[in-house]
Amino acid sequence: MSLLDRYIHEVGRFLPRKKRGSIQAELRSSVIDTLEGRFGPDPDRDQVAEILLELGKPRDVAASYHPRGQYLVGPGLFPLFQMIAWIVVAAVLGAQLLAFGVSVFIAGEPFSALETITSLVSSVPTALGWVLVTFMIMQYFDAKPYLEEEPWDPKALPDRNPEENLKKGELIFGLVFGILFLVLLTLFPQWVGFITTPGGKFFPNPVILNYLVLIQISLLANILMDIYLLWKGSWTFLTRMIKMALEAFGVVILAFLIQGHNVWLAGKGSPGFSAWISAIESNNWELVGMHAFRLAFVVAFIVTVIEIATTIFRMIRSKMAGDVSARDFVLKVE
Amino acid sequence: MMMENTQSEQYQKLTQELRRGILVLAALSQLEEEKYGYSLISSLAEQGLDIEQGTLYPLLRRLEDQGLLKSEWNTEGSRPRRYYQISSEGSQVLGNLTEEWRNLTNVMEKLLAGISS
Repeated sequence: MSLLDRYIHEVGRFLPRKKRGSIQAELRSSVIDTLEGRFGPDPDRDQVAEILLELGKPRDVAASYHPRGQYLVGPGLFPLFQMIAWIVVAAVLGAQLLAFGVSVFIAGEPFSALETITSLVSSVPTALGWVLVTFMIMQYFDAKPYLEEEPWDPKALPDRNPEENLKKGELIFGLVFGILFLVLLTLFPQWVGFITTPGGKFFPNPVILNYLVLIQISLLANILMDIYLLWKGSWTFLTRMIKMALEAFGVVILAFLIQGHNVWLAGKGSPGFSAWISAIESNNWELVGMHAFRLAFVVAFIVTVIEIATTIFRMIRSKMAGDVSARDFVLKVE
Repeated sequence: MMMENTQSEQYQKLTQELRRGILVLAALSQLEEEKYGYSLISSLAEQGLDIEQGTLYPLLRRLEDQGLLKSEWNTEGSRPRRYYQISSEGSQVLGNLTEEWRNLTNVMEKLLAGISS
């Protein structure tokens, strides 16, 4: 195989299959033309090497035939890829630790450091691999997740008042916990409950199991919404409304859960909120646990309702503040 | 010494960037008649513009993909060669780019008039 053949073959290795043959043929004929033009019809090996050296490394020559560059994930998709990758790593690590916690502390399985580390080391790259494969496919099909890019209007830049700024840390924290909780409910629904006596048997909460699907839907919707919010970077009227609708959905589920606990506790003859004292006195830990769950749901219910009310209040206030400042501006201009 | 090297590298990069912008115009201007890669390089070199082969060949492909050039293989000579010629769309673009280039050179001449070399 001549030096030129070897060079052309090597360039071909890095070329797209569709155009490989034609580019190789053209490159060969051009190099021979150059050799003839400079050294006559019979160039020696050193002269061939000189021309090939001028042409450049095979990999670089092939790369110059890729008009849009060679990327697994290009600059357009990279910020989104980076964000999703971090969320996935946090969620996978959290889920692993949670699963580990459940198996050791609740199921009472023996602790194996090696197994824990092995599963951590293998699960993170696997999850990242899937994210990468998804983005590679998006890159291949030239997917454009930023729909608002064209045509671009500077006047349409979001006017970010402090009310619209996202609290990113809070959002990621909530997101990771949402994912963990969803993983827990999906993989180990039987482990949502409590231990009736120290070292005693585990009692899965029957009311939560009843509303499992609704809880999962709510968690998933919130997770998707939080990812969308992180991607967008700020609140809009629409996202606030959707978030509120999701919170309202959460409130409804909480109401169901509280009602479910009421019915269960009434069925056991321990209906009222003060009945947990007599449950403690009688050492009935099943009842105490269910009372505790109900109390937690009542607190969550109140907190969520307050959150919704605060959001509505903020929206009204920011709307009014916007109107006032707009009026001030008009007055000043006049 | 290190500093000199960095400066010369920097100068080389800047020159490359400056030249890269005119290569399309230069190539289109020479392809009213069909030419193959090496003959285009020679023709440009004779007129004082040296282009590396590794730069020109992919550029010709790109211009063809954009519809500014058309090409065909000619097997009549001593070996098959791919000949390129400007397309009607390419001629239009060449006209516009030429006008743009003349405006730019006028402006640049004015801007650089006061600078001693």
